[in-house]
Amino acid sequence: MFEIQRGDDGRILLNGRFDASQVEKAQAFLDGVSNSCTLDCSGLEYISSAGLSVLLQTLKRLTAESHSLRLIQLRENIRDVFRISGLDRIFNVE
Amino acid sequence: MERWLPRSLDALDDLFRAVDDYLATETLPQKTAFAARLVAEELFTNLIRHNRGGRDQVHLSIERRPDRLVIRFDDFDVAPFDPASTPVVDAAQPLAERAPGGLGVHLVKNLFDELHYEYRDGVLRVTASKRLESGDV
Repeated sequence: MFEIQRGDDGRILLNGRFDASQVEKAQAFLDGVSNSCTLDCSGLEYISSAGLSVLLQTLKRLTAESHSLRLIQLRENIRDVFRISGLDRIFNVE
Repeated sequence: MERWLPRSLDALDDLFRAVDDYLATETLPQKTAFAARLVAEELFTNLIRHNRGGRDQVHLSIERRPDRLVIRFDDFDVAPFDPASTPVVDAAQPLAERAPGGLGVHLVKNLFDELHYEYRDGVLRVTASKRLESGDV
């Protein structure tokens, strides 16, 4: 189960298991983001390389458009995946 | 634990269910369980994406040996596979040079201790294993 939606405060909420079968759904949502944004990962339980690639593509697009992408409230396992991938140095992770 | 899985991303739910069913029978650290799920997905999706030919199902086995956890996939009737063709990710690359993709094998090699490919008579066997600390055994 994976959900991606806009929260009341404008943050984008990621929840559940972001695996390879969720790429199309997540990419379609994030392609609609046209300004700087914050991804609230407090509900994100799992992410694989497929999910990382979607976030990386989105970061590259937003950066090219002079916007930013911030990730907040990552659980420890998710933070480990970003660290191992070297993406913790590329993303603005809080 | 052994399971046949359809060669499809739609089978990921079945894959996670199989891994979780197995993990429920074992006492393993939460980090090891997380890594097992991720390694299983990465190996499975790589088989689907990169192996040419192949039957409509692949075979998964998960086994706990005295000192290690072993995840193995067997893919039958596939063309020879060259592990050296797997892209190498430089985790230190800056954003402008990072390309989406290629991270799966990198994650497997960092989360587990060994990754081994064996090809014989049309069968590709990929095995990943993680040493268990003395407190985990």
